[in-house]
Amino acid sequence: VSTCLCGSFLHLYLQMSTKEKLISHVMKEEPVGCRNKVTVVGVGMVGMASAVSILLKDLCDELALVDVMEDKLKGEVMDLQHGSLFLKTHKIVADKDYSVTANSKVVVITAGARQQEGESRLNLVQRNVNIFKFIIPNIVKYSPNAILMVVSNPVDILTYVAWKLSGFPRHRVIGSGTNLDSARFRYLMGEKLHLHPSSCHGWIIGEHGDSSVPVWSGVNVAGVSLQALNPQMGAEGDSENWKEVHKMVVDGAYEVIKLKGYTSWAIGMSVADLVESILKNLHKVHPVSTLVQGMHGVKDEVFLSVPCILGNSGLTDVINMTLKPDEEKQLVKSAETLWGVQKELTL
Amino acid sequence: MSSILQKLITPLFCGPPEPPRNKVTVVGVGQVGMACAISILLRELADELALVDVMEDKLKGEMMDLQHGSLFLKTPKIIADKDYSVTANSRIVVVTAGVRQQEGESRLNLVQRNVNIFKHIVPQIVRYSPDCIIIVVSNPVDVLTYVTWKLSGLPKHRVIGSGTNLDSARFRFLMADKLGIHPSSFNGWILGEHGDTSVPVWSGTNVAGVNLQLLNPDIGTDSDEENWKETHKMVVNSAYEVIKLKGYTNWAIGLSVADLTETLMRNLNRIHPVSTMVQGMYGIGDEVYLSLPCVLNSGGVSSVVNMSLADEEVAQLQASANTLWDIQKDLQDL
Repeated sequence: VSTCLCGSFLHLYLQMSTKEKLISHVMKEEPVGCRNKVTVVGVGMVGMASAVSILLKDLCDELALVDVMEDKLKGEVMDLQHGSLFLKTHKIVADKDYSVTANSKVVVITAGARQQEGESRLNLVQRNVNIFKFIIPNIVKYSPNAILMVVSNPVDILTYVAWKLSGFPRHRVIGSGTNLDSARFRYLMGEKLHLHPSSCHGWIIGEHGDSSVPVWSGVNVAGVSLQALNPQMGAEGDSENWKEVHKMVVDGAYEVIKLKGYTSWAIGMSVADLVESILKNLHKVHPVSTLVQGMHGVKDEVFLSVPCILGNSGLTDVINMTLKPDEEKQLVKSAETLWGVQKELTL
Repeated sequence: MSSILQKLITPLFCGPPEPPRNKVTVVGVGQVGMACAISILLRELADELALVDVMEDKLKGEMMDLQHGSLFLKTPKIIADKDYSVTANSRIVVVTAGVRQQEGESRLNLVQRNVNIFKHIVPQIVRYSPDCIIIVVSNPVDVLTYVTWKLSGLPKHRVIGSGTNLDSARFRFLMADKLGIHPSSFNGWILGEHGDTSVPVWSGTNVAGVNLQLLNPDIGTDSDEENWKETHKMVVNSAYEVIKLKGYTNWAIGLSVADLTETLMRNLNRIHPVSTMVQGMYGIGDEVYLSLPCVLNSGGVSSVVNMSLADEEVAQLQASANTLWDIQKDLQDL
């Protein structure tokens, strides 16, 4: 190559860096930047499981991580970056400073204290509200048009808190809610019927926690209502004890926590499932936590999970389920419990 | 009174269930094992995943957590047990069990402790999956791949060490980052020992076939003004740095193992830098495992690419081989 160049150009060429010799930049404008950025707040087990699930599903062109623990944060981002060859997400960044989260389409919030063995999710409230008072305004400052996905527990209350603190319209503040409970239910149903969970349809709504509501009337395979085949389904007298399936869902998290100390993989995959519907504008229906005031007899300003349509605007519609009177009663009771806790909060 | 199952479903075929065709076992459910497991699951590489470990509660908890995500996966059977019978009929067994490096500890220090663990693990793996391919991940990976080969009695092409697949991935990320391109568009190989004496083959580094050493003949040397050598140094230090910051590494190694698993499972004949038996190559006389570019397919290592290495690079490989043989020759009861 160098023998073809005349004297002065050769001199210039030899002064160029390897990169300049290799690559000629031809675009005059500023680069477009990210179009599908996701931020994950909190790099604990749930945050990282969410991050890796999102990365392995090729959902975003930029991933930002935020946390207060600087060394842990830097270690996690390096570890992900080292896997870049195997991924399709070109930019993975992290910082304690929220400026790194700017222009996110979706912000997944996993920060906060987690349940200890035997501890209920409602116990975590006040500790996590205080953390949110720092986090939410920072997110809003740098991504005023983002969709917030709240995962930290107790998720229904904290989604309400995030909504109040952010000032965002309700369609842009979503709680991961019973998306995971329903996934656990469908897994267990699949085990009972020897089918893949995706062919087992069942919805758990209401509180993500001890008082979640399994809608037995909707449980079906290929449109065949199981309750029509077994009218006792979900009741005490049921010889097949389907009620136990719901109990196993409620106990699921406690059991995993007792065995391995925390849960991460299932919630991580469930979060990626929701982020996919949002970023790809799928208009898919998921049971997630949203403002249910005025629905099913709920009077208070609370968030509970109902089937919602998710797309790139966020949570745009709610499916109107036909619930039995006792199912509606359970929802109203959950709402009252949550409101009882919420009204004591200083926001 | 017939159950829902009986009313809902009319069976057409009542034979015994088919054995799995694409089963993967992961031995060890620590951070590395679980990162391998989740990467393999999310890449949809297996129709059955088995986990084994000695810590029973942790094992059960991890299995349950993965099972709860089944709706989002295409791996219908996820099982776990302390007993190796759960691993039967695996095509690929990923071994991540053993102790890991503490902050500042070199991989070679872990040897004897991990050899003793492998004496328990490897015969059981082979007993239940005599036709499998074993991918060894535990460190020091080159020595432990040798140990696994000896303990298993498997032919050498079916015992692979994850080797410098990860080092090369880190190298390609760091080099590509400097050039503003995707790691897959940067070609560069790190061979030899997965550890402090790995060998970056500067003469092979290229983008779109344009050889970087031709553009910069000093590349990788101490006289290089651009100090590209620093990139290799960063690769060697990577693991230590991540361990110092977060206590362990897992995501990158997990993704790297899934990458190898994909090539093996799908019979791709892709070339990866993995640890293989190199006796007879590059003047190496001892029975050691080092990373060279290997063509991998569903039979394991089908062939090795003969890289044209500079004399200095060959000397480095031979030095690594000597270091490793020094350690291996003192190991008891293989």
